[in-house]
Amino acid sequence: MTKHSGIDPLTQISPNQHVLIRLPSDNLKIVELKANAIVSLGKFGAFRVNDIIGYRFGTTFDIVYDGVEEEFVKGTQTMIGKISVLENRLKASSPALENSSENNRGLINLGSVVQEMSMAEIEAMKREAASGDAIISKMIESHKSFHQKTVHSQEKYLKRKKQKFAKFFTVEYLDSSGLLHYLIEKGDVLRVMDISQESLGMALNLANINSNGQYLCIDETGGLIVYAMLERMFAGDSNSKAKGKIVVVHENEHPNLDLLKFSSYSDNFIQRHVKTISVLDFFEPAKEADIKSLFKPLSAEEINDLKSNKKSAYFRRLKWYQNQLSNIEVAASSFDGLLVASTLYLPTLIPRLGEKIHGSRPIVCYSQYKEPLLELSHSLYENLNYLAPSLLETRCRPYQTVRGKLHPLMTMKGGGGYLMWCHRVLPAAEPKLNEETLERSDVKNSDVEGDEDAHNLDQEEQVIKRRKPNEENEKL
Amino acid sequence: MSQFFEYKDTIKEGDLVLAWLSRDNLKPITVKAGEVFNTRYGAFSHSDMIGKPFGSQIAIRTKGSNRFGFIHVLQPTPELWSISLPHRTQIVYTPDSSYIMQRMECNPRSRVIEAGTGSGSFSHAFARSAGHLFSYEFHEVRYEQAKQEFKEHGLLEAGNTTITHRDVCKDGFEIKNGDTTSHEFRGPEETKVELNADCIFLDLPAPWDAIPNLTSVISKEKKVNLCCFSPCIEQVDKTLEALEEEGWQDVQTVEIQGRQYEARRQMVRRLDDAIERLRDVKRRKHEGVEKRQKNVEQTSNNGSSVEATESDKDLKHTEKTHFNPFGKGSRVKEGDSNFEWTQVSKVELEIKSHTSFLTFASKIIDRTRDEEQTKAYLATFKDEGSKLSKREQRRLKAQANKDIQKE
Repeated sequence: MTKHSGIDPLTQISPNQHVLIRLPSDNLKIVELKANAIVSLGKFGAFRVNDIIGYRFGTTFDIVYDGVEEEFVKGTQTMIGKISVLENRLKASSPALENSSENNRGLINLGSVVQEMSMAEIEAMKREAASGDAIISKMIESHKSFHQKTVHSQEKYLKRKKQKFAKFFTVEYLDSSGLLHYLIEKGDVLRVMDISQESLGMALNLANINSNGQYLCIDETGGLIVYAMLERMFAGDSNSKAKGKIVVVHENEHPNLDLLKFSSYSDNFIQRHVKTISVLDFFEPAKEADIKSLFKPLSAEEINDLKSNKKSAYFRRLKWYQNQLSNIEVAASSFDGLLVASTLYLPTLIPRLGEKIHGSRPIVCYSQYKEPLLELSHSLYENLNYLAPSLLETRCRPYQTVRGKLHPLMTMKGGGGYLMWCHRVLPAAEPKLNEETLERSDVKNSDVEGDEDAHNLDQEEQVIKRRKPNEENEKL
Repeated sequence: MSQFFEYKDTIKEGDLVLAWLSRDNLKPITVKAGEVFNTRYGAFSHSDMIGKPFGSQIAIRTKGSNRFGFIHVLQPTPELWSISLPHRTQIVYTPDSSYIMQRMECNPRSRVIEAGTGSGSFSHAFARSAGHLFSYEFHEVRYEQAKQEFKEHGLLEAGNTTITHRDVCKDGFEIKNGDTTSHEFRGPEETKVELNADCIFLDLPAPWDAIPNLTSVISKEKKVNLCCFSPCIEQVDKTLEALEEEGWQDVQTVEIQGRQYEARRQMVRRLDDAIERLRDVKRRKHEGVEKRQKNVEQTSNNGSSVEATESDKDLKHTEKTHFNPFGKGSRVKEGDSNFEWTQVSKVELEIKSHTSFLTFASKIIDRTRDEEQTKAYLATFKDEGSKLSKREQRRLKAQANKDIQKE
């Protein structure tokens, strides 16, 4: 996306992009903004896209109905409101608290009797399109024992009501963490392989992802991993000059990078920086000569001479031809890192992919479960091409962040997955003897075969040492 | 380009390499022909490394024994550096730093403020990903050390890192001509640096003193994210107070817990083998009793002693190892192929049970839009659809019906 008349789609809300909308209930929603269109948030109300264009991401808006013409979203009861900018999400629709009790000694549970407003009255107020603020104030007024509640429980009450009657929303840039949270909340935990924000973040750092690397990737999450890599490498900027590239190897005929449809990159940019290739084409590439024998590109003049129906057929075939050639090139290249989130059997997968990785480059493998990574680690210990496989876990524990009431959340989602991290290395083929030992072995009537045996023995020893990482090198 | 962030294939003279001796022993060395890298496993000549690809295993034969010693020579990355670096202060480890970067959306467009620099562990990770890093250190010796290190690592040269000697709590974050900083001013007409920061990381004993100073240096163009890193909960409380006063929003404190596991093996020891062992003990006890009775009988009968010695020999033939694979007393090596093993994961001996509390917040300075500009911009979309698509309408209708039913 290019900058139009000073509006920057990466920092400001602009049309033709997907954004994340945070509702009063803290639920998330992805919305594609179309100029002149209307967005409905269901019971929270509706607004016009044009009213929010040009504001910074992160701004909180309130939907207000003061002096608007009655206009409904077609076929629904949702009335389209005006927009006003709120200063703070926290302060939105919170009438000032007064008259609270030290404790709840006087509080008796009388059920719904304490609320003098009936459901019908509340519904009527909503239909009259009173602001969420007004409804909540009214409810407090008619709540008989509200002032017998402690400040804390008054706040809690307000929070609950706010989630029900407030009409504000926050518009956020759709970064990879936001996309992940949206998917988790939507119930797509399995689809994203239970990955957590902290595991995703750690995978990016351990794999040393930067703007100019050539990375190899398997992503079974529908593109979340690739999305996160792209964001880290290019920041959503289709005009980025960085040369980095992601090669996505997929197990079906076509890749599933569905989530990239939410990204702000141009198709052209994605084509340049994300290359997809099937496992078959990657591990058993076609021969260049075979491809060339099947198709010959024409010269510019010859193309001009083609009739229009033949022209399109030609370009279709040309595209195929170019894709085949680029597949061959990709299969022959080596990479700056490997990032895998796959449910394929890892002990056979990783070493084969690892062959295509440069020495000293990191390999990071994500799994929902620890056991497949345990098995992988054991198999890599025995392979001298991989240095010190480690099993890592990272967990985030959020706090209820209210002064005077700080404590970790009482309940939260479990899981989050595990990472295997190691480096691709190049084993010493024929260990060089240094001069001193050469002299000594000369004296001792050096025996080539004997040396080789010693070498083999040593290799075996290394294998054993690798098995017990804490004893590495210890015996030497 | 920095030797940290530009991928290299072969080791050249003058390169910084990390020599991997073991999991918690990585040593940074600058390769120079003729020099030797000494370890307790032997001496490795730098000349052996030059020309080899990064990631090579370097093997030598040690003096005095017929064994090989080896190291791996790796290209530095921020993560490996954080394991190997010389500590000047407590450092931020990867589980924390990677989460902070992900949560603050650190990317090539980010302009990051980091205070203090400390040992520079996090600085390297920021510098890899950010558009620009402004790092501040109030301790003069540490400032000089860090500046020297950043220079050697190509962080300053690459142009995306600036380090400034400053007490940010007292004197704020602005970088002016004449300050002690790595920024090179283009003559007297450049009086100060436009920081325009949108990513703030404060690892200070009293971040609340620094927070009010941020106002003048953070971006007005976009949402600004902040993270304070404090070990004590009282510090968090004071930070929350300052954040609220300064109008920061979406405040949340979290803790990150990182764990590392070793892949190990546990011997498979079966019930049947235990029973078999006890059976054997029982049999030998029984045989012992029989033998003693026989001996008693023989001595009383004055018979020959030849038979007795023969039965003694029989006993010695019992094969213990066959059904006694318990390794107790015989020191079986983990993974010995004579035994069966199950794969287990073992948590590291010492875990970092607390690093710090991470308090996040965000701020938008400019909550307005340029009405004229927006109007002109939107005019270019005049002809585009002004209503919901049919599909969207259907979806909303269904949703509305559902909502009504719910209530």
